[in-house]
Amino acid sequence: MGRSILQASVTDRGLVLDPRTKLFMLLNMAIFVLGSAGGERVQALTPLFCAMPAVLLFSARKWKTAITFVILFILSYSMYTIFGPMTTGALHYILLGCSGILARFLPSIMMGGYLVSTTTVSEFTAAMLKMKLSEKIIIPLSVMFRFFPTVFDEAASINAAMRMRGIHLGGRNAGGILEYRMVPLMTCCVKIGEELSAAALTRGLGGEVRRTNICNIGFKVQDIIFIMISLVPYVLWILDIVGI
Amino acid sequence: MKNENKLKGKDLINIGIYAAIYCVIMTCIAMLGYIPIMMPLLAVFCPLVGGIPMMLFYTKTKKFGMITIMSVIIGIYLWVTGMGIWPAIFGVVFGFLADLVAKSGGFQSAAKTVLSHGVLCVMLFGNFLPLYIDREGYFASRQEFGQEYIDTLGNIMQPWTAPVIIIASFVFGVLGAFLGKALLKKHFVKAGIV
Repeated sequence: MGRSILQASVTDRGLVLDPRTKLFMLLNMAIFVLGSAGGERVQALTPLFCAMPAVLLFSARKWKTAITFVILFILSYSMYTIFGPMTTGALHYILLGCSGILARFLPSIMMGGYLVSTTTVSEFTAAMLKMKLSEKIIIPLSVMFRFFPTVFDEAASINAAMRMRGIHLGGRNAGGILEYRMVPLMTCCVKIGEELSAAALTRGLGGEVRRTNICNIGFKVQDIIFIMISLVPYVLWILDIVGI
Repeated sequence: MKNENKLKGKDLINIGIYAAIYCVIMTCIAMLGYIPIMMPLLAVFCPLVGGIPMMLFYTKTKKFGMITIMSVIIGIYLWVTGMGIWPAIFGVVFGFLADLVAKSGGFQSAAKTVLSHGVLCVMLFGNFLPLYIDREGYFASRQEFGQEYIDTLGNIMQPWTAPVIIIASFVFGVLGAFLGKALLKKHFVKAGIV
């Protein structure tokens, strides 16, 4: 588990944003890019939104991720705008399956990736505490975000192991896919989870008293700039509804 | 302990762990939805496969509220991944109902657990709801999948399929729970996880 998800080092991470700003921007992506809300004028801004994760990743000095994202996005976007209308039938579906979906989901995935790779668990918790959320939602959510990469890691390893035994689509024992993948995945996730929860409990998570947090979060100049940008589509949307 | 029924740290952590497993599995399955014919069948596959982690989660559930929080979190996850606000609302409602059903069995009764999972799965209908109440809007938001995808999907998802999907998600939620129970018995009890 070499990935630094929600365990970002505190030093050398470029521009630091408040987790709440990041959450707000992620929500924006879900509403306007994935959900396509807000009418035509907002939709014209979609490329701007798609460029946002790249800017943020660069600002956080995640050069490799940012460049991969930009190249992948441009490739898939041009694939389906140029070749998509030229094809029909089965080929069309395959092309859409590969490029259309990638182009659609990639910005949001990258935004989510940016959120989890540049926020520590403590910062995330501190931000949610400031949002006055109940601890009953905060703890499961932060555990979940911490746990996602682990699940994917485990799934990939099990995938490789089962492939060796011919348990994959089109393999000799394809019938066992469900059982032979799910059961090991869940077994090891549960084991890891138990260890994680023991570790968290020793640090006083879920105690009777209110936990303190040394993370210093708050809105700074850069947060205000990004929030301003994120508010643009809402303004346009309201203008659209009012009919101007 | 002042109150045995209060949710403690361990319960909340458990919710987070199982929610993560569930969401990963659901995301993998939901990718099938890009083949139009598979779209309505998601109401079959998701509850069926989701039954396995959920049954494991139910064995850890001993207090009221855990299932509600779980379904709220799944709802929020679906919302952020672009399914609209409806799954989140459905998550609150059906999670609460499923919780009530499980509570009436004292979180022990096998029959009530299975029934509770069926109720919980009705929440998945929230994903399909925009297809029925805002058809134009839904397809407008999926223009980039191509006209063919939209036509095919539009043909499959006629309005009369709405109740079918609700019933299917309930029935297959129940079946998924049985599947989960069977696997639980076969593997997890032996391995000492339950």
